[in-house]
Amino acid sequence: MAPTPAEKAALAQNVTNQPDGPGKRIGKRGEVHVIGNVLPGGGKLFRERIAQFQAEAGYWETHVGTVHDFRVLMFDNDTRILISAIYDGDFLPYLADVINQAGPWFDMLMPGVWEGYTSASDTATRKLIGRQAYTADAFYAGYPDLTTKDIAKMRKLRDAVNAMLDSAS
Amino acid sequence: MSALELSDIQGTVLRGRPMPYYGTYLVFTVQNPRSALTLLERLLPKVTTAADWEAPAENAWINVAFSHAGLSKLGLPEDVLSGFPREVRQGMAARSAFLGDVGSSAPENWDMPHAGNGLDIGLLIMAGSIALRDDKIAIGHAAVSGLPGIVAAHRLDVGLPPTMREHFGFVDGISRPYIEGQGGTPLPGQPIAKAGEFVLGYENELGEIASGPGPQELWRNGTYIALRKLHQDVAAFRRFLRDNANSPEGQELLAAQMMGRWRSGCPLAKSPERDDPAMANDPLRNNDFLYLKEDPDGRVTPAGSHIRRANPRDALDGTVVDMKLHRLLRRGSAYGGVLPEGVMEDDGADRGLVIALINANPGRQFEFVQSQWMNDGDFISEGDRTDPFAGRKDKADDFVTLKPRKRYRGLSQFATTRGGEHLFLPGIGGLKWILGNVKPA
Repeated sequence: MAPTPAEKAALAQNVTNQPDGPGKRIGKRGEVHVIGNVLPGGGKLFRERIAQFQAEAGYWETHVGTVHDFRVLMFDNDTRILISAIYDGDFLPYLADVINQAGPWFDMLMPGVWEGYTSASDTATRKLIGRQAYTADAFYAGYPDLTTKDIAKMRKLRDAVNAMLDSAS
Repeated sequence: MSALELSDIQGTVLRGRPMPYYGTYLVFTVQNPRSALTLLERLLPKVTTAADWEAPAENAWINVAFSHAGLSKLGLPEDVLSGFPREVRQGMAARSAFLGDVGSSAPENWDMPHAGNGLDIGLLIMAGSIALRDDKIAIGHAAVSGLPGIVAAHRLDVGLPPTMREHFGFVDGISRPYIEGQGGTPLPGQPIAKAGEFVLGYENELGEIASGPGPQELWRNGTYIALRKLHQDVAAFRRFLRDNANSPEGQELLAAQMMGRWRSGCPLAKSPERDDPAMANDPLRNNDFLYLKEDPDGRVTPAGSHIRRANPRDALDGTVVDMKLHRLLRRGSAYGGVLPEGVMEDDGADRGLVIALINANPGRQFEFVQSQWMNDGDFISEGDRTDPFAGRKDKADDFVTLKPRKRYRGLSQFATTRGGEHLFLPGIGGLKWILGNVKPA
């Protein structure tokens, strides 16, 4: 017999909201979505710039160091843009740091594309990001208690244990 | 860079604590807004500013601060009240889950009033002698004399213990940022901070003018103080050292590793093997160190030690965190009698620290440091691990050193929160604006 809805819900994760919002939270893992409007002509600019933006993703996100995955999507016939991220820890406390650190990366893509976005160092842009951030209605996180730092540490441990076992074999 | 308007800034922002010091925190509850304004009117000429802070005419000061609830009772307009930072509007008790004030540290166990249960106006008094302190207390009492509807809700005296150290046995108050425009020159190792990190109306580290709610006259030269009352379980700390080290020297090393400084104040980073009191007493050397190049992994100063968590210096360079956005100006003072040396059982007396943390942006300064660095360990790849002294112990109760490689378990709640509030400390102009523009209903 197929499991009942109640039986399936027995594996539900403990989902909370980020302190002071936005975004949901499971364990150490948080999510956030930002949805902005695209300026006329923004689609063309976006497509011109996106390849280099993609190429630099590893550099900037490694620098930030707490992001598990990150996406940018232009949709609705070049009228809207979606940015989403899955990351470790709280959102608001780190917002100023993240904008500071990854600001130049966003500045190479967003001016002229995202309506209201001037420069990451501009107070108005910071406020725009806060205003256009949304919380997911449903969220699942795999291994929600492992941060990127934990995963890196475990990989280091695994490699060390393998090296030890290899040297003994 | 513009010079700070010292004669408009309340003294506690810049004045160093006298040594020895005698201080008092007086808490008032407002039941009658008209009386509160009269109190303020009487106090205004007596409020000590930061003018001549390096060589003040009088080795004592009296300052006045307000909780958001207090400002609301005074009758500040709603559009001004709603412009205060979220943390100030909500009050520290409401932020307890985020700040880790849970369990024995939860607000229901606090014995110092907070906004919403009695802390409307606070008087901060600090002096170099008991007589000078009492003079300032008398000013406070005279200001409320004969006023209906102003209730003296709480008094907490602070003073340097005869040991000249805080109750865990450490010399404290060694490290503080140098504020641009404060005058003088920074000491070696003293970070230079934009004034707008600590005083409203000046440029901050984001390149913005730090601003406050409502008209500039209200907030210019004002700031916010995160006030914390922390009870210290000295006996538990001593037992922990005794149970985890084989010799008195071993106990001292463990205490130093937990703090990041020997009890004299000498930094481990400058003298890893043994205490060096001469180093501790030399302001040109006792704060002149960094971590990233010399000690990136925390083999000398453990990554989880108190001073490295509270102020990671350059240890987080290259990570998401910009240290410049999370600096605090810390004013700590001890309260309660000393637990006699060698006593290993708690005597039931209340003793601890009152810490006034000055910040222009409570969210990214005090609350960030408390929630991310004191009460979490992910920023140093230590998972849930918290600060050995100030951290909550319900998430993790261990502490790790790399030299020797050891994990100490079973740390108790050595420091328990007994009170706390985000207060607004206006400039002199702000106090005048309140008097001139607030009309009680």
